[in-house]
Amino acid sequence: MRIATPLLALFRTLVYVFLLAPIVVVVLASLNAGNFLTFPPQGLSLRWFWTFLNNDIFLNAIAYSATLAACATAVSLVLGTMASLYFTRHAGKHAEAVRIAVLLPLILPEILTAIALLFFFYEIGVGTEHKIALFTGHVLMTLPFIFLNVNTSLQGRDDSIELAARTLGASRYTAFRRVTLPLIAPGLSTGAVFAFIISFDTFGISFILKGTGSAPLPIQLFDYLRFNFTPEAAAVSTVSILMTLVLVVAADLLFGRRD
Amino acid sequence: MKRFRATLLIVPTAALIFFFVILPYVTVLLMSFRAPADGQPYGQGFSLEGYQQFFSQPYYALSLPSSLALGMATTFVCLVLGYPIALHIATASRRWRGLLYGIVLSPLLVGIVVRSYGWTILLGNSGVINSSLRNLGLIDRPLPLMYNNFGVILALAHVFLPFMVLPLLSSLQSIDPAIAQAARSLGARRFTIFRRVTFPVSMPGVQAGCILVFVLAISSYVTPSLVGGMRVKTTTLLVIDALIDQYQWPFGSAMALILAVTAGIVVLIFARLTRMKWT
Repeated sequence: MRIATPLLALFRTLVYVFLLAPIVVVVLASLNAGNFLTFPPQGLSLRWFWTFLNNDIFLNAIAYSATLAACATAVSLVLGTMASLYFTRHAGKHAEAVRIAVLLPLILPEILTAIALLFFFYEIGVGTEHKIALFTGHVLMTLPFIFLNVNTSLQGRDDSIELAARTLGASRYTAFRRVTLPLIAPGLSTGAVFAFIISFDTFGISFILKGTGSAPLPIQLFDYLRFNFTPEAAAVSTVSILMTLVLVVAADLLFGRRD
Repeated sequence: MKRFRATLLIVPTAALIFFFVILPYVTVLLMSFRAPADGQPYGQGFSLEGYQQFFSQPYYALSLPSSLALGMATTFVCLVLGYPIALHIATASRRWRGLLYGIVLSPLLVGIVVRSYGWTILLGNSGVINSSLRNLGLIDRPLPLMYNNFGVILALAHVFLPFMVLPLLSSLQSIDPAIAQAARSLGARRFTIFRRVTFPVSMPGVQAGCILVFVLAISSYVTPSLVGGMRVKTTTLLVIDALIDQYQWPFGSAMALILAVTAGIVVLIFARLTRMKWT
């Protein structure tokens, strides 16, 4: 009994190490001065970051992924907020059906959804050109995160303060802008950060629907990793980890709830 | 009028889900029954050839049980690693909880490609683990940690561990600490409390976590292909291969549906065995 406790503590510590190890190792590998990923590293250097900064393929991929994520998040913010307002205030006995429908993209396996979208866009004659299929897929993947986060902000509050504002003479638009919007602001910002990160990192949808031409970062990285073993991929990964970290910390500082 | 306005709120999302989720899934179902063709994704008319092709060729048919086994092994590893962590976070002090929660969620903030890549750096023949062991003189030749089921299961368990811990945590946090204290004061040993109180109450979390991890694991593509290096053939890898590289859409769809239906059956059996509420 008394031996079990320290053993359990050791086991837990090992699991925490296990969770962090692959991420830490990628960051350390990016500082390797050698030509290949060797361990122990052949000295420290930032040369692979320099190589990466001179590699248009990865820079374009990052810009492309960020643009795609921003656009998908913007559309999801509007649709997700509307759906959430309906779900929390007007859905009545259909609430559970609405919730499951909006969360479908999250519940169904992503790779299967991607295949389904590929066939569908092919059948209606659009295909994967023009990136419409890719964009639709990203909106689907990000929508549940906006919906869930705005729901959290709205749950337990009815629309009585909006009604009060309306009674006092505010227009529908003013009531939304001055009353509802501040109410759901925390949910919107957390949801937007989540949505952006999900879109930036998602693989299945992008892999199947990317079409020809430029590809999002995870796809570019995956293609590179299949045939290359230089620490440049580690430098790219480190930059993408840092971007995510900056986004999360910035959102927390700007909108984080203090308790 | 008011009702009509309210309904407008859900129309765009409902249309999006109907046209871009439900109809596409129907398309997959139809595609699996289409006739194959040379030089183009699919031909005229309907046939069962896709399904026949899967079951008549052992290369494809045998990938199904090995994919399911891989998924179950990953789920088991996640449960064994995740349960103590969830229990730890649920009972940790407020100050520690935030940090531990952050560690558990951190893999989710890093893309799946980057995480799988991290595992290739750790497990490779000249990777961190093998190099360290060799430098310490413990081994002469590298241990086979990658390009096999072991490496794939380990990396998959890492990728999906948060999906096990989160449901566990939410069910563990619903346990009233007073119950454990009452059991304690009545003379129950700590293991007895775990077996008779904590574990049964956390069962919904165990079920949700296991189903989530199992489904995610068998449908994952990146980790088996990077860490398995094409030497671990899962059904999902074969599906993508048939669809993207060989342009055999009916065959690929049939395979994907066979995998989805089999996974559904496994989930139902699991739910029945663990006496899940809705069965």
